[in-house]
Amino acid sequence: MSEPAERETIVVIDDDYAIRLSCRKILSKMGFRAETFEDGAQGLEGVARLKPGLAVVDLKMPGISGMEVIARVHEIDPEIVVVVITGYPTIDTAVAAMKCGAYDFLPKPFSPDELRLIVNRGLERRRLAIESRRAEVERALLKRRFVTFVSHQLQTPLVAIHQYLSVLKNLDDTDDAAAKRQQWFDRCLARTGEMQTIIKDWLTLSRIEGDRLSRQRVKVDLKRIVTDILATYEEMARRNTVSLEVRMPEDAYLVRGDRNCLIVLFDNLIVNAIKYNKPGGKVTVSGEAREGEVEISVTDTGVGIPEKYRQLLFDEFFRVEDEGSKKTAGTGLGLAISKRIVSEMGGSIEVESQVNAGSTFRVRLLAFRAQAGEEDNNRSANEFTSEEDTDRGR
Amino acid sequence: MSSPAKKILIVDDDHDFAEAVSSYLEAQGYVVVTAHEGREGLKLAKMERPDLIIMDIVMNERTEGFFTVQELRRTAELKAVPIFVMSSLYSKITDFGVPPDSGWLAHDEFFSKPVEMPALVEKIRQRIGGGEATA
Ligand SMILES: Nc1ncnc2c1ncn2[C@@H]1O[C@H](COP(=O)(O)OP(=O)(O)OP(=O)(O)O)[C@@H](O)[C@H]1O
Ligand SMILES: [Mg+2]
Repeated sequence: MSEPAERETIVVIDDDYAIRLSCRKILSKMGFRAETFEDGAQGLEGVARLKPGLAVVDLKMPGISGMEVIARVHEIDPEIVVVVITGYPTIDTAVAAMKCGAYDFLPKPFSPDELRLIVNRGLERRRLAIESRRAEVERALLKRRFVTFVSHQLQTPLVAIHQYLSVLKNLDDTDDAAAKRQQWFDRCLARTGEMQTIIKDWLTLSRIEGDRLSRQRVKVDLKRIVTDILATYEEMARRNTVSLEVRMPEDAYLVRGDRNCLIVLFDNLIVNAIKYNKPGGKVTVSGEAREGEVEISVTDTGVGIPEKYRQLLFDEFFRVEDEGSKKTAGTGLGLAISKRIVSEMGGSIEVESQVNAGSTFRVRLLAFRAQAGEEDNNRSANEFTSEEDTDRGR
Repeated sequence: MSSPAKKILIVDDDHDFAEAVSSYLEAQGYVVVTAHEGREGLKLAKMERPDLIIMDIVMNERTEGFFTVQELRRTAELKAVPIFVMSSLYSKITDFGVPPDSGWLAHDEFFSKPVEMPALVEKIRQRIGGGEATA
């Protein structure tokens, strides 16, 4: 932006008097507070004191080298944008300076316009960086006020529906309105569906929290659960041209837990793996039964998850806000629910991912072990069979 | 109509809300442009020079609307454009808490969502005129 809100300070560190003078003139004219220093030591002292938004640093100075000055400026405040100037512009020095953390490069001699351009660009970048950090903080704050946040999530579709209805009621009966009417009804229906999903997910989440759903502890075969879930998503996978594969060599993968919860858990992971995949992609569910532990991994060849989001993934309502995923519908509760289910059962869930290559969600659960009163293998086997049978009847 | 139609910019991340409101305003004879996030709204405001801006507060899971208002007020050529802010989060602007700086307050009118369309149009008409139904 052309006019700085409050006078931003810019520090210039250069041993060349003429450069200091002209920088100061140009920058002051731009409305900045420009402070100049003739060597690295004084410059760094100035940076610490003045907290500038941007520093212009000459690479070749007596005393502390320009490269070191860049590094030390960022020790003081990593968000200060550093622009480097030098009389010997080579690709090598440019690359080296960028590696040290410089943002841009200004070869000597430079025109006032070149300085202006580079300073404005540097400050714009700083503004974006600061704003995006502030946005993260604010997002976190808003979500911490949980009830407020959830009610807003529920309000949003309701408001849209209300608004459509209110406009439909007030709009005169023109041809244009008639054409839109049908479309708007469809949108209203879609939005009620959205609300229902939020409420349903929300209930699941609070039920797990209330420990009601998960009190049930029966012998469950994860292989059965996974194959059943995959069968229900064959159609969705076909639509997205994603292929599904199961790699579970053992006959059964037995754990002790709540059957419905485990279905919800793997359902979430599998749906995500299909939703956030690419056309022609693949979803693989693989199982490993080890001593006392069962590990199920859901791997996709999809968009992947940038590193900075990986810790946030399991938070309620968290959704990656990139081009691709914005278009996919979801409430951001799926993984939060999954995580609670896993912890509830004393297991763990972790994610590995590479942007644009795919992700793996790995769930580890304690393997089923007969407890006292259950040693009778036949009996528990029968119980198990009958449970599975009733299920099949559903 | 003798004078050109008044132009309104709607900034709201809910496409359906924006669609409903803009259709109604268009039927009232206004020209409407729509943006779905703050940054895009800022860009459109500079390009389209609207006579009035309708701004949602909570976008992108934060109070992006406030920051956008702040930016709008900082831009010389847009300082005087009336801004109506809207939200479904609270019913009063003061419920949003203490603003970190004055930019938060630099709007002209607050509406709780959903908005009653005739009331909205009435306020708009008071501010910038226009709004005779076409057709
Ligand atoms: N397999 C995956 N590949 C890439 N991104 C993923 C994957 N799984 C989850 N994500 C990202 O993590 C976010 C949170 O996932 P989560 O399942 O909690 O919510 P959702 O899918 O958005 O909505 P829903 O509550 O309907 O499941 C998603 O929005 C998506 O951005
Ligand atoms: Mg999901």
